[in-house]
Amino acid sequence: MSRSDNPVWVIAEQVSEIIPTVCFELVGQARKLADDLGASAEALLLGEVTRDQIDLLFYSGADVVYHGNSPDFGIYQSEIYSETIVTLSKETQPQIILLGSTFIGRELAPIIAAKLGTGLTAHCMDLFINEEHILGQRIPAYGGLISITCPEKRPQIATVAQGVFQVPELDKNRSGKILPVEPPVGLKLRVKTLEVVIKKPEGVPLEEAPIVVAGGSGAGCVEGWQEIKTLADVLDAALGSTRPAVDEGWTDLDTMIGQSGKMVNPELYIGVGLSGEQQHMVGITNAKVMVAINNDPKSPVFEQVDYGIVEDCREFVPLLVKKLQGKNKKSRT
Amino acid sequence: MLSIVVCVKAVPDLDEADKIRIDPDTKALTRHDIPLVINPLDRNALEAALQIKEKGEAHITIISMGPPSAGNVVKECLALGVDQGILLSDPAFAGADAFATAYTLYKAIDKLDSVDCVFCGRASSDGATEWVGPELATFLRMPVVTMVREFVEAGGNSWKVKADIEDGYRLVQVEMPAVFTVTHTANTPRTLSFSGIIKARKKEITTWILDDLGVAEESVGLKGSPTIVSDLTVVESKRTCQIIEGTLEEKADILINKLISSGVLL
Amino acid sequence: MIDFTFTDEQELFRKAAREFAETQIAPLVPKMEETGRDWDPAIKALCDAEMMAITIPEEYGGLGLGYVERLIALEEIARVSVATAMMMQVGALGTAPIIVFGSEEQKKKYLPGLASGKHFATVAVTEPSGGSDPKGCTTTYKKQGDSYFLNGRKCFITNSHIADVQVVMAVDEENPDSFSTFIVESGMKGFKPTHEEHKVGMRGCNTGEIELKDCEVPAENLLGGEGKGMRVAMTAIGDVGRGGMVGCSLGLQQACLEASIKFANERILYGKPINRLQAIQFKLAEIKIDLDAGRLLGYRAASIQDAGGRSSNEFAVAKYYTAEAAQRAAKMAADIHGGYGCMEEFVVTRYLRDSFVLGPSAGTSDIMKVIISRWVLS
Repeated sequence: MSRSDNPVWVIAEQVSEIIPTVCFELVGQARKLADDLGASAEALLLGEVTRDQIDLLFYSGADVVYHGNSPDFGIYQSEIYSETIVTLSKETQPQIILLGSTFIGRELAPIIAAKLGTGLTAHCMDLFINEEHILGQRIPAYGGLISITCPEKRPQIATVAQGVFQVPELDKNRSGKILPVEPPVGLKLRVKTLEVVIKKPEGVPLEEAPIVVAGGSGAGCVEGWQEIKTLADVLDAALGSTRPAVDEGWTDLDTMIGQSGKMVNPELYIGVGLSGEQQHMVGITNAKVMVAINNDPKSPVFEQVDYGIVEDCREFVPLLVKKLQGKNKKSRT
Repeated sequence: MLSIVVCVKAVPDLDEADKIRIDPDTKALTRHDIPLVINPLDRNALEAALQIKEKGEAHITIISMGPPSAGNVVKECLALGVDQGILLSDPAFAGADAFATAYTLYKAIDKLDSVDCVFCGRASSDGATEWVGPELATFLRMPVVTMVREFVEAGGNSWKVKADIEDGYRLVQVEMPAVFTVTHTANTPRTLSFSGIIKARKKEITTWILDDLGVAEESVGLKGSPTIVSDLTVVESKRTCQIIEGTLEEKADILINKLISSGVLL
Repeated sequence: MIDFTFTDEQELFRKAAREFAETQIAPLVPKMEETGRDWDPAIKALCDAEMMAITIPEEYGGLGLGYVERLIALEEIARVSVATAMMMQVGALGTAPIIVFGSEEQKKKYLPGLASGKHFATVAVTEPSGGSDPKGCTTTYKKQGDSYFLNGRKCFITNSHIADVQVVMAVDEENPDSFSTFIVESGMKGFKPTHEEHKVGMRGCNTGEIELKDCEVPAENLLGGEGKGMRVAMTAIGDVGRGGMVGCSLGLQQACLEASIKFANERILYGKPINRLQAIQFKLAEIKIDLDAGRLLGYRAASIQDAGGRSSNEFAVAKYYTAEAAQRAAKMAADIHGGYGCMEEFVVTRYLRDSFVLGPSAGTSDIMKVIISRWVLS
């Protein structure tokens, strides 16, 4: 396939007039992809924000910002948002559309993809332009990374979690065009968000915590999970989890680390009763020191950490907690 | 009577998932000899439908796309209280990505007389995408709400639901018919009962093949999938692991000392 | 040709029973072990999950399923709690005589409540003089007007303090050769559960004594006709009682195998898991051989019963084999665990204690041999 110089898009959402970090990370990556293609990097921003927020999109690498600041875009309404994006996409024919793996992005992306009749790749760990000049989208699977491509249909759409790409260095000399976007006319809304209720969790966010203790299905039961939580408390660590632990109902989706969860950057990571699935481990690659506690000496997790403890976590964790508590007492007296 | 469709995926049993491989030719996932179970997250979607049925009159149809062996999963859904089971099974459906899966399900639901709502799980445990629900809604020209954690008002022409967002939820009003994806926190799925299994004897499973859906082979399965798997790369770990030996006590002490000396623990 | 496979539906029953056992029964086990009592939640769970309705005909509110399905359910429940499986199996043992020998009125009166869990049943045959020699029965009955009056003591009765419907065997006060069985309700005058036993294993399974002191039973509660008591009791014990013990034993064997495999995979010795040691491998193989052989014997007998035949001899063979095998399996499982096999935190110690109780329940291995030798010599 010959190279296309159609634009590379990022859908920049806003929550309470603030653009989430992941959107700037994506604009930075879109800039690189656009440079490889000789195309322009463009952001589509729906909802009112301050001018400095728009400038940040330019500083991050956007050449154009489509901005819809009608009150209709104030809070996320799937039908208004998707119709606006689809209409503009049909007019301007972007070859790539990137969205954050946020709750909004995860709902919006498939609606857009289906309306445009094209493919969509979930929660990518890397995006690159391959030798056929199309978008390579790496996702973890089966102990490695697989590449997904969308060879024929356009645009190529992907979602990416926060922290997969670095926030780009801001180039304050950059600026670009702001083009207005209007909401669709005569659209009868069938879905209406009536109210948004946010309760920020206490403590350090998982993404910024210096110590992360993550638990997996090896906890075995609610009591076992409680032990892991206690270990996190004793270490003043943030508690993370794997998908099986979330599916067991032991913890909230907000604690999930990895491809479809959060990316963490701790000094110390302790993985308890988890097997080292790529989908989880890709979320921790930047940790300084990694420890795994697992009763299976053959567990793949041991190939991916610095220190391994081959023990049943339900025996070892309570002991470790006791030792750490003793140490704290000593250091205080 | 409220007509509810629940989409269920038969997925390989997680305990045996390490036997899954990628077919070198088709680049699709092969699932030979691995027992299929109900995608755990779909059980929450099914439970949501069953709870609505308990509160008022409803007819629940389950639709699953998969190999003939997925019939067991459909049967299990019937035993859990579903009224009717439809299995979409045809070699042409194999290798579908989320887009082609949603399209095939859409064609099947479109054949049903009248559908008031469609429930899907939040995601599947094998493919781990969350696209089928919203893509299906788009094909059906129905509105969609993803990540529903609570049905506040259900049954009438307009429903109210709470749906998860970052650190909170949104309260959403939806004109029916609509598609919902249900989170795993929405409910605790019921387990099988002996009398449910017996009642399922009288319930039928209909199998629809490609011709029943009246679609071209090119628009389903691998051929109808916009995305393809192009290669597999092995991830080399940059770390070398030191396994700490000793008694349980010794291991704990050594670990703590190692972490202190690396400066990550005070 | 013989088909040794379960039907898809039977596999689904097994899945249902396993889900039930793991989610509803397993969490109750620690408390039952600790106190030796606390059976009420387990009984309630069994009733709510329709486990007491399996073999009761549909026209009386039951599920109308067979012995194969019953064996499947018992196996899965015993896999997590032999004590619970024991109470369930004896509940069915108390119900079966009403199904087989009950009059239409008796069936209508008792079976729907037993199926729904409103009532719970047992059989009271064993006396202080022993259980395997029913002719030594000293509990007497005497007819006066429209009632029978029962006097005596029954012991080692599973569900003694739970069951409100008890099938009791007694001997005619005036004719030592005439045995009869009666449906006794716990509320009837002169009926009283007394002593509770403290067993070494199957803790949390209710076993105790009942006292009958001029216990007045209405004449319509005579079960199977006067003088037919031996047949009523022995049919129930032979088919249902032994069959139930096979389920308890197989479930325990399966549990022993799983615990042993898990430990052998995790326990490191000489730098590698002990599952690499042939001494351990052979023990695992032996448990598996016993389990498979026991299953074939048990399901053979159950299939004969479901096909309309009598299976008490085949169940005697299966009862002997599986109870012995369960004791071997528990011993080997404990041995595989080494020192940990002596520590109460390890579940194999419970298996060892439970296996001990399997032996005498519904007849010791020696009694099984008596029955089997009578069978081959007849």
